[in-house]
Amino acid sequence: MSLPHGPTIGVIANPVSARDIRRVVAHAGNLQITDRVNIVLRVLQAARAAGLERALLMPDRGGIRALLERHLRRGDLLLPAIEFLPMEPKSTVEDTFAATRLLQRAGVAAIVVLGGDGTHRAVVRELIAGGAALPIAGLSTGTNNAFPEFCEPTVTGLAVGLYASGRIAGGEALVPNKLVEVSLGQGAAARRDVAIVDAVVTRDRSIGARALWKTHSLAHAYLAFAEPQAIGLSAIGGLLEPVGRRERGGLAVQLGRDVEGALLDLQVPIAPGLVCPVPVAGWQRMVADQALAVPLAHGVAGTVALDGERELAFDAGERLSMTLREDAFCTLDVARCLAVAARDGLFRSASPARDTPLPSRPARRPPPAPVSIPTR
Amino acid sequence: MSGHPFPQSKEQLLHAYRTMRTIREFEERLHVDFGRGDIPGFVHLYAGEEAAAAGIMMHLTDSDRIASTHRGHGHCIAKGVDVVAMMKEIYGRRGGSCEGKGGSMHIADLDKGMMGANGILGAGAPLVCGAALAAKFRAKSGGPSDVAISFVGDGASNQGTFLESLNLAAVWNLPAIFVVENNGYAESTSRDYGVAVDSYVDRAAGFGLPGVTVDGTDFFAVHEAAGEIISRARKGGGPALLECKMVRFYGHFEGDAQTYRGPGELDRIRADHDCLKKFSAAVTGAGVIMPAELQAIDLEVLRLIERAVGEAKAAPQPSAKDLTTDVYVSY
Repeated sequence: MSLPHGPTIGVIANPVSARDIRRVVAHAGNLQITDRVNIVLRVLQAARAAGLERALLMPDRGGIRALLERHLRRGDLLLPAIEFLPMEPKSTVEDTFAATRLLQRAGVAAIVVLGGDGTHRAVVRELIAGGAALPIAGLSTGTNNAFPEFCEPTVTGLAVGLYASGRIAGGEALVPNKLVEVSLGQGAAARRDVAIVDAVVTRDRSIGARALWKTHSLAHAYLAFAEPQAIGLSAIGGLLEPVGRRERGGLAVQLGRDVEGALLDLQVPIAPGLVCPVPVAGWQRMVADQALAVPLAHGVAGTVALDGERELAFDAGERLSMTLREDAFCTLDVARCLAVAARDGLFRSASPARDTPLPSRPARRPPPAPVSIPTR
Repeated sequence: MSGHPFPQSKEQLLHAYRTMRTIREFEERLHVDFGRGDIPGFVHLYAGEEAAAAGIMMHLTDSDRIASTHRGHGHCIAKGVDVVAMMKEIYGRRGGSCEGKGGSMHIADLDKGMMGANGILGAGAPLVCGAALAAKFRAKSGGPSDVAISFVGDGASNQGTFLESLNLAAVWNLPAIFVVENNGYAESTSRDYGVAVDSYVDRAAGFGLPGVTVDGTDFFAVHEAAGEIISRARKGGGPALLECKMVRFYGHFEGDAQTYRGPGELDRIRADHDCLKKFSAAVTGAGVIMPAELQAIDLEVLRLIERAVGEAKAAPQPSAKDLTTDVYVSY
């Protein structure tokens, strides 16, 4: 792909997040394709206003591209140049992986992600595999959305545009994040994966419809962060011993198979509208870079759910370990970007009708200490 | 390994495999026989889509009703319609499900709750509303909590009948389930072109129904999602929509040159999205079923299909006298 010279970002918008069984077993919402397209348009219009010149978008066969192109044909929108990545959509998570790889190669400044925890995990997993320190800006269009924080897409677009155009440096715009590294099996057959919020081990080997909402089969939860106001599996930790997303360390929770074997029974919002008792047998803090072997009873097979979806099936006797990694990838701190923009007057300009000078900008404060940008 | 790692019993898994393999071999045989000119009329093959029919129908009993489509062989087999009678029907012979007068697109067996394949796109959905309304009244009178399921393709989901049925089912809170079998093409028109908002879950939401999308080539995903949706409907939870994203291995109809497909597309979907390969890998990989057990089913199914074709070819055609039988129903 020819590289554009102007500020460029990537956009990965998952058309099928928030479509799983939790619409039936819980009361999870449904963000329509038209809303997703509106979000993309809001991000891009705002990013252009903040200096973005070009955006590379993941193509899809779920309706986002088709509807977006109808909007683009209108010709009355002020948008950056838009190009779709040269890939054939398969309508699986492979699309997200492929798009992330292409965006890495294209050298974009950042990737805007529309999806839930699972979509964000897929992007992060591929970024780490590719060794890129490319930041992401997340927009929650999924079910539980523990990772992406709720934010008006227009504001995210402004922040992305400011960062991509170099008007705010990475030291001020970016923050590091933790993740849980999952290691399954040994030798040539070993499998590795990551969870950006929660890696949960179940005693049910079936991947099935992927989303995890039944609490009776839960065995262990390993949490990169656990916020008490979250819903989903990380809420187990959030309501036991909260760990902030910017705080060092994580949390490992052992879940009792039945209430008799548990220390306590915790009421947890596992899915939208679904509050279930979860038997808890114990918990401990996770320290960065220290692998924790998952204690599995003899003969137990199961799955590892990564950020809410059953992804890895394992057989009895397979070794499973979890490691917390800090500074693993970086995200755009939207609120801080906008605060810097206000502080530095980045959105100010002289009115053409005004013949008196602008009031002086507030004195620029020294920038906050730069965050470490991961190189892994 | 100790313990059984799947929510389905071994017997259920074997049943699922037998169902999917029977559909596959049935369709593969029709592909050959139709090409030779042995079969009258038109056939639309379900090969590649077997996991949806098997994963859904395993939750149903004979008193649950389904309404199928023009691509209905898989639904019939999974619902328990006799395979030999189906083959006779498709060959247009006496002893067929409809005495050889209906053909591929009109196979029905009310004893099995199979209200019929249907040559009219989207026509099954209103029928299912009627069946679901009847089921609701029967359940109120102490009868079984039956459900009714309409299958529709991604193209036919644009039909007014389908959209009106979503509305009616929601208004009457019917135990009706609408399964959109999304194989990406309305005949030869890509859904990218032919569907304005390409999410069937969005369409359901527009009528106040919950909708779920699953990988329709993954038996386990379909089985779990369908189980929850059907269970909810049986308990009075009302209608829902299930979108199964799937692939079809053949054209819209037999003889379709498929010029609308991309280069290498058919090879890719057969390599990466074959529901039978996925299923076999999962159950043998987990050590629950031995490869030899699956091979034994393969052989058994081949014999069944061979017998069905043999009996179909040997059966007589309907006579002129049969033309007016089974046309009118007396109540």
